[in-house]
Amino acid sequence: MGFAEILERYGANYAKAVFETMSMTIVCFCFAMAIAILITVLRVSPIKPLRIVGDLYVQIFRNIPGVALLVVVAYALPNLKVVLPWKTCVEVTVVLLASAFGSENFMTGINAIGVGQIEAARSIGLTFGQTMRKIVIPQALRSAVLPMTNLLIATMLSTSLGSQVPLNPQELTGLVSYITTRSTGAGIVPFVISALCYAGTAVLMGVLGNLIDKKVRVIR
Amino acid sequence: MSAHVTSMRDALYEAPGPRTKRLTVIGTTISLALVAVGAALIVRQFYITGQLDAAYWSFFTKWNTWRYLLEGLVGTVRVALVAAVISLVLGVLLMFGRISSFPPLAVVSRIVIDFFRGVPSLLLIYFFFLVVPQYGLQLPSFWMITLPVSLAASGVLAEVFRAGVNAVPKGQTEAALSIGLTPTKTMLRIVLPQALRIVVPSLISQLVVVVKDTTVAYVVSYPDLMQNARVLITTHDSVVSVYLVVALIYILINFAINQLSIAMARRSGNPIISRETENPT
Repeated sequence: MGFAEILERYGANYAKAVFETMSMTIVCFCFAMAIAILITVLRVSPIKPLRIVGDLYVQIFRNIPGVALLVVVAYALPNLKVVLPWKTCVEVTVVLLASAFGSENFMTGINAIGVGQIEAARSIGLTFGQTMRKIVIPQALRSAVLPMTNLLIATMLSTSLGSQVPLNPQELTGLVSYITTRSTGAGIVPFVISALCYAGTAVLMGVLGNLIDKKVRVIR
Repeated sequence: MSAHVTSMRDALYEAPGPRTKRLTVIGTTISLALVAVGAALIVRQFYITGQLDAAYWSFFTKWNTWRYLLEGLVGTVRVALVAAVISLVLGVLLMFGRISSFPPLAVVSRIVIDFFRGVPSLLLIYFFFLVVPQYGLQLPSFWMITLPVSLAASGVLAEVFRAGVNAVPKGQTEAALSIGLTPTKTMLRIVLPQALRIVVPSLISQLVVVVKDTTVAYVVSYPDLMQNARVLITTHDSVVSVYLVVALIYILINFAINQLSIAMARRSGNPIISRETENPT
């Protein structure tokens, strides 16, 4: 089947799938950022148990494969009387994964600042809150732009986990498997359309992230 | 990456006075209590849903269970190692293409790299599983999982290698050229060996991504750890315990790989270049 034929028959599905993938990406990324900030606060807090909880969270979710986490959320949790809709299962999985990497990015940003700056801030009499607000957080945010752009792309790629559970409407990866198993002889076209949607968006995100980074980067 | 975590974390705070010390003790106590309550609630949920029943856990005391999981793990390791080797070779080739002075080759390589970095590995797996057979090529299930995993990794590795080449000081190239080495010889004998050494920690940490990608092998019914876990689940009718144990195995493996790469990075002083730290364009 050619491009025209596939688009004529499944064009509406593709429109929905693109919307599904992109909306899941944005929703998951926003939640992931919020949780990443929370986890990072725990990890730099002076209270030991909170630090350990934060570190443990990051180590678990940055090392677990997406599929392994998805099956736990989607198939194991219902046995513990936690039943979530399929789409929520995918979103919870993606948020847990992305937030761990997000927190790592923030920690790297904080570590890049250098102990000397904190000491300098303290010696000119800034309080802890002032040091955080005026020295640490602005620099950590600025140097996190590129890693977070990569994380946004990775979040989009992770939403392809949605192809492993029955979603309605489907996202871009699930749609390829749906079309290919339904119409014999669909050939490579459905794959190419989805792949170009992903790769094109990824390149676009990368270019935008790079522009922002150039504007705000702290040159050390 | 996290080489300086503790020092920077601790540098944020002044040496605590008596009041702060007291507050920290109170905070520690309260947070400890909260963590304990949280853990207790989780255990309680397991208990009241019957998931702590011996039936769900006793088969983990049998050697047969572990042998079956180990067989799956061997499958995972085979896919991961073969995919790692293929993606290393492809990554180096793509990197050479990307930095080549022949513009068409550079453009094509760049498009290929961006494509494999920008497409989910699951989609690549569906390509080999659903699309390739339509053209009359029926690959064994081992290659249906190994090839897409290799391709997905090769794009990222090409960029890692490129960062490594860029990290070799310019003076090395200049010196090599000025003593009369050709550009090709300069690359192969001077720059590449140093670049490879720089990226060793990054390559190890990239292995984590490869191991993670192998977990979708069940799509093509290749007997890896996850696929064998699914079989165990049907034979023992125990979803929670098996999936939790398998998830823990994956976490421990990847944690070990990550720690190894951090240790290598610290020893050699070379940073870990990964998807998260590299330039996205």
